[in-house]
Amino acid sequence: MNEQQTMLADMAGSLFSALSHGATVAADWGRIEEMGFAGLLLGEEEGGFGGGWADAGIVFRLAGYHALALPLVEAVVAARLAADAGFAGDGFGTLAEKTEGGIDDGGFTGFLKGVAWGREAGYVVAPSPSGGAMILSPRDAVIEKRQNAADEPRDILRFSGAPVVPVDADIFALGAAARSMQMAGALDAALELAVGYVNDRKQFGKPLGKLQAVQQALAVFACEAAAANSAAVGVAQALDRGDASFEVAAAKARANMAAGLGTSIGHQAHGAIGFTHEYGLHPLTRRLWSWRSEFGGEHHWTMLLGTRIAAAGADNFWAEMVRRSDPVA
Amino acid sequence: MQTFTIKPFDMPAGAAALREQVRAVIREHVTDGDIVRRANCWQVNDPEFSRVLGKAGLIGMTWPKQYGGHERSALERYIVLEELLSAGAPVGAHWIADRQTAPLLLRYGTEAQRQRWVPGIAAGEIYGCIGLSEPNAGSDLASVRSSARRDGDDWVLNGQKIWTTNAHIAHIMIGLFRSEEGSERNAGLSQFLIPLDTPGITIRPIINLTGEHDFNEVFFDDVRLPADGLVGTEGQGWSQATAELSLERSGPERYLSSHVLVTELIRHAGGSQDAAVLALIGKLASEVWTLRQMSLAVAGRMAAGEDPALEATIVKDLGNSLEQAIPSLIQAVVELDLSSGDALALLTAQLLQVSPSFSLRGGTREILRGIVARGLGLR
Repeated sequence: MNEQQTMLADMAGSLFSALSHGATVAADWGRIEEMGFAGLLLGEEEGGFGGGWADAGIVFRLAGYHALALPLVEAVVAARLAADAGFAGDGFGTLAEKTEGGIDDGGFTGFLKGVAWGREAGYVVAPSPSGGAMILSPRDAVIEKRQNAADEPRDILRFSGAPVVPVDADIFALGAAARSMQMAGALDAALELAVGYVNDRKQFGKPLGKLQAVQQALAVFACEAAAANSAAVGVAQALDRGDASFEVAAAKARANMAAGLGTSIGHQAHGAIGFTHEYGLHPLTRRLWSWRSEFGGEHHWTMLLGTRIAAAGADNFWAEMVRRSDPVA
Repeated sequence: MQTFTIKPFDMPAGAAALREQVRAVIREHVTDGDIVRRANCWQVNDPEFSRVLGKAGLIGMTWPKQYGGHERSALERYIVLEELLSAGAPVGAHWIADRQTAPLLLRYGTEAQRQRWVPGIAAGEIYGCIGLSEPNAGSDLASVRSSARRDGDDWVLNGQKIWTTNAHIAHIMIGLFRSEEGSERNAGLSQFLIPLDTPGITIRPIINLTGEHDFNEVFFDDVRLPADGLVGTEGQGWSQATAELSLERSGPERYLSSHVLVTELIRHAGGSQDAAVLALIGKLASEVWTLRQMSLAVAGRMAAGEDPALEATIVKDLGNSLEQAIPSLIQAVVELDLSSGDALALLTAQLLQVSPSFSLRGGTREILRGIVARGLGLR
């Protein structure tokens, strides 16, 4: 991290750690706004922070690490896309995971699914039925409140002939990239809790962490957390370079794999205490289970990747993968 | 906690041209039709190909020119290695000398040792092997008992090494010996540079489960070395050897040595609509891409003079586990006739058989995970 990124991480870390999973939009969104986090991906001339995806990746990882119960990552991405579309919305923007319906005479009829904090958002960026993305106002919608397995709002918004502003973006891919960064942070936090717990908790006259069976399991968890974190950094680098279609698929698939093992080992290491509502493991693991499905499960992304690679041909797989991160000659 | 510290960096300008240089060498010289020789390719010996690489300036890439090196960057070396491995080029003969022997001599060796051995290694003509394991010192390496005794200015070596890859083709061994009589565990050990034609050395083959000859037993019977047979500092053998092991942990061979099997799986899929096969290709691509990110991150930090030992160990464990799983995963989703001459079947059969070694060589999975656990603050 450079100096500016270290400052950003310090600011984000201390705020998110104070807010954590008890935060609410009503009580706490103002503090996010005060710090200017929503403008992370906006240029300084657009009133933003002037950051790139590498910077966003640091903040998104910390949002996951602290199980931040606010639509921060969605608002950051939505603000960037709104600026691209020349759309000035009030309040914070959010993302929809899926769209069903059609656009007729410039009006959208249908519904958006998986809208994070849709009930409180000022605008929502969603996949468009005619390709790319579109911006809609939740004020035009009938809102059905839903939540994911971590109790994070994931609303359904129904529209009938609502006005849309088109924007060129792959929302599903951007959402997947953002989730892979949050998952990287949540995995590191769950690992840290597990390591701390087994070093404290004594059974058989010694800390659990002295038992080889426990050590070996946590080493596997550490490898998985490391893989998810590396994938998250890699996808941010690719987004900053431009086309990240390959890297998003690879990173979200890898984060999903890591979440499967990490949640399982994390709970096993904690025993019964990790299963209680009082203890702080579930805000991380329930988010990991939820995020593992959001914006594409493992099968979705591995099929996409596999189909693309098979179509390009066996002798192009390696050459194409490495070309993507080489400087343009 | 951040388990894996990453400093993002960019690949060097000229990366594409360097890749093309390596690919052209492979196209011209790796024409052997035996697909099985492309599997686990950093343990496939072809001295003629090693000399070709030496002439092309692709061995000893980062070493000083005065020792036959080419003073290129660590990432340029990485590019050359990943291109060779992903194509399944037979790089086994010079691999250990390029990766470990010469870097060790450049770091700890005397001027005479460097001048005597390093230029030949860079030329692809001198090969090395590693003398660590003994019959009673495997994972428990600190139990090494082979001894080095001073006799005047000379050293006299006695004992036995085992599982020594390539002792039968190597010119020199870097061996770990107990140089202080009565010393215990990791104290009193020293490293020696041993020309394998020295009188008193006997090398016997150990044939592996597929019938191939990779490793050996090496016996030392009053083997006399001159004073400068010692490498580095007397008594510092343990820290020198473990630093050497960290050089070998995180390179591209940890996830690419059987990459040709993935390539053949993609060829097999062709225009296939088989969802299980396509999903497996996607899963493997996701893991290979991630491991490349990780391995490059470690290479970048080592190039900056850091010692990311924990990260390197994580790369090795993940890479070994992936490589070991690949043939088994393919067998689960593709109907294979292992008695046929089909390329995918031949490669899968070969790698099913040799893959148990992947989580044994250079530190078992359990030892690696123990190191990771210590890095986490357990133990």
